[in-house]
Amino acid sequence: MSFRKRNISLGTDRSAVPNATQTAPPEVTPGIRPSPDDGRPTTSTGAPSLDNLLAGHAGLPMGKSLLIEENGTTDFAGALLRYYAAEGIVQEQKVHVVAMPEQWGRSLPGLIGTAESLDEKRSDRRKDERMKIAWRYERLGEFGAGVAGARGAAAPSPSNAGEQDPNAKQPPAFCHAFDLTKRLAHPSITNMTFIPFIPAKDSPFPAILNRLETAISSSAANTIHRIVIPSLLNPTLYPPESCRPEYVLQFLHSLKALLNAYPARVTAMITFPLCLYPRSSGLVRWIELLNDGVIELCPFPHSADNLTTSGAATSQEEPPQGMLKTHRLPILHERGGGSDQNVGEDWAFTLSRRRFEIKPFSLPPAEGDTEAQDTAASSGMPKKSDLEF
Amino acid sequence: MPSQPPLPPLLAPYLSTQPESSLTLVSSILGATSNWLVLRFLHAALSNSSNNASIGLEDSPDGKKKKVVFVSFLRGWEFWKAEAKRLGLDLTRLAGKQQFAYVDGLSELFTTPKPTGNTLPTLSTGSPAPARTTLPLRSQPGAVPGRTPAPASSPIGQGSTGGPSISEPGIAKKLNFAGQGLTALDKLERDISTVIAKFKTAEDDEILLIIDQPDFLLASTGPSYAIGATEMMDWVTGLQQAVHATVLTLAADSPLLHNAPAASNQMATPVESEHAAFAIGLAHRAQSVMQLRTLETGAARDVSGVLRISRGGGWSTGAEENLDEKELLFYIQRDGGVRVFGRGES
Repeated sequence: MSFRKRNISLGTDRSAVPNATQTAPPEVTPGIRPSPDDGRPTTSTGAPSLDNLLAGHAGLPMGKSLLIEENGTTDFAGALLRYYAAEGIVQEQKVHVVAMPEQWGRSLPGLIGTAESLDEKRSDRRKDERMKIAWRYERLGEFGAGVAGARGAAAPSPSNAGEQDPNAKQPPAFCHAFDLTKRLAHPSITNMTFIPFIPAKDSPFPAILNRLETAISSSAANTIHRIVIPSLLNPTLYPPESCRPEYVLQFLHSLKALLNAYPARVTAMITFPLCLYPRSSGLVRWIELLNDGVIELCPFPHSADNLTTSGAATSQEEPPQGMLKTHRLPILHERGGGSDQNVGEDWAFTLSRRRFEIKPFSLPPAEGDTEAQDTAASSGMPKKSDLEF
Repeated sequence: MPSQPPLPPLLAPYLSTQPESSLTLVSSILGATSNWLVLRFLHAALSNSSNNASIGLEDSPDGKKKKVVFVSFLRGWEFWKAEAKRLGLDLTRLAGKQQFAYVDGLSELFTTPKPTGNTLPTLSTGSPAPARTTLPLRSQPGAVPGRTPAPASSPIGQGSTGGPSISEPGIAKKLNFAGQGLTALDKLERDISTVIAKFKTAEDDEILLIIDQPDFLLASTGPSYAIGATEMMDWVTGLQQAVHATVLTLAADSPLLHNAPAASNQMATPVESEHAAFAIGLAHRAQSVMQLRTLETGAARDVSGVLRISRGGGWSTGAEENLDEKELLFYIQRDGGVRVFGRGES
């Protein structure tokens, strides 16, 4: 160690992918950036707040898989999966969709800009409301904005010069914003491959794996792949015998092997319906154990009247639509788990037209219960004069 | 936070001494994986010699050499190599020195290696990681399409010393599951024991066998392959015979263990009942059991989970009185260091 030349920066040899914020070396892969935590390459899930959740890496580390489970009959997980696929298309990565017909590809949300531009718009809107006395703290970052947000905001220069030539020195965007009501129209959307089931005598999965394997091994070495598996084992998509443990577990194990064989080029995201396969069953637990990240979505039962106000801190924020639980996070839990600042929080998610937002969940003060609050204020706390010392 | 010693002092006695022909069981759950503990076992067995080697001494002072054969079913070689490096263990070098052998149960367990004439554009472009990992795909010498047991008969020359370009450095053997029931298990056992036998140069070498999550093998095969808990137990026993001591990790999530009594309304599936039988059977046979759990009271910022060390059913009385049962807390730092402490301490 002591023979190392001191003035060589250590960061350069640490990660295979050069830092995207440096002055564009030629081999920058769009959509890949090193993790702020340990420098490994990560890619975006297409939802900035989900990126923030992933144990400080500000993205999904390459070579890892994420399992999104969902309770109930809603399709929030499907929305996340569409963001993930759309992000891959916009970044010109190769997207492989398993077991879905091609209509799924036409329902991807439309691109409305980079994630930062959406954030800027929102902060512009808030600017008027901000207390002027706090102007010097403006750049310190918003409360709740995570690692990815902070890094994104730091990249453009804060002065006017940045606004004059926004396209000149912008690093390639890491994450984009999508609009669920629009449809994605991007030249590389035809690059998606849809891998249907071929009826087979025994397990239908090896054929799928073969196609994935050949697609990845035959592509150029700098192609990034995304494997999208919507609604795994859903009986409307999967043949009935596919939920036999030996078939599905062998498939996931081989998928893990595939991710492991191309650690810098492939990520996968799987959604899984929990109402068909409860978490208390051993099979589901094995499916979870075979994935690097496990996230569970628990949507609130839908009754719009009651819930319009609950959970929203102010009237301007949208009420949360469900709870989100993180059971396992990539890298963090592989090392042993449990020490991330995000672990142990209660998370709530809100899906709106333009964003999937994950926030700490907090119950609001009971609204409409003003009587109790008044009585509490008047009688609950003893007045100063009542206290005798 | 200061950096931690690679072996937490409280754990060191449990990690470094395994009595002869003992079985140590490490159980993990979804939110508290056992990888860090496995790495500590590796470090406890291998670190002395590697430290000495870095100073210049080749062998440890007492003539016994500790060697480790490590079989992993759920995690890849790259992961173990990188994490061991954080502890100061260079597994590739140790493999070259015949002190460590890695048996890969992940990459080709259920996929037959293809004899592709893959042109590998990856090699020329200089991206290191893909190039390295695609090498073994191409270079399986006797690889045949279809599931024939041919790899079993030809593997001996393929170890870490069998030619520089034949396989990825450090990986002694890639397991492949083929066939049904006992024959398939026998083949895996044979593959692993060839590695062990080739590895055992002197009679008094202490070989520690670490098997990472063999329970996956049970879950992913099941009754339709005619493999159950009994067969797996026999498999483990067969492997134990060849080595000095064995460390085995398995999953102990409650859906896998507690569904078996079928207290709930749903029937226990074979995945659950066989897993429970396997885990409980091993715990009865083990000399000690180390359970990793998360905190029952929810997540905390300075505690990753609970480690409970207890005696297993195979505890030999009077052997090691100093190993008492304990419940400890552990915390894994961002840099991979581990702090182990008792409840109430910090």
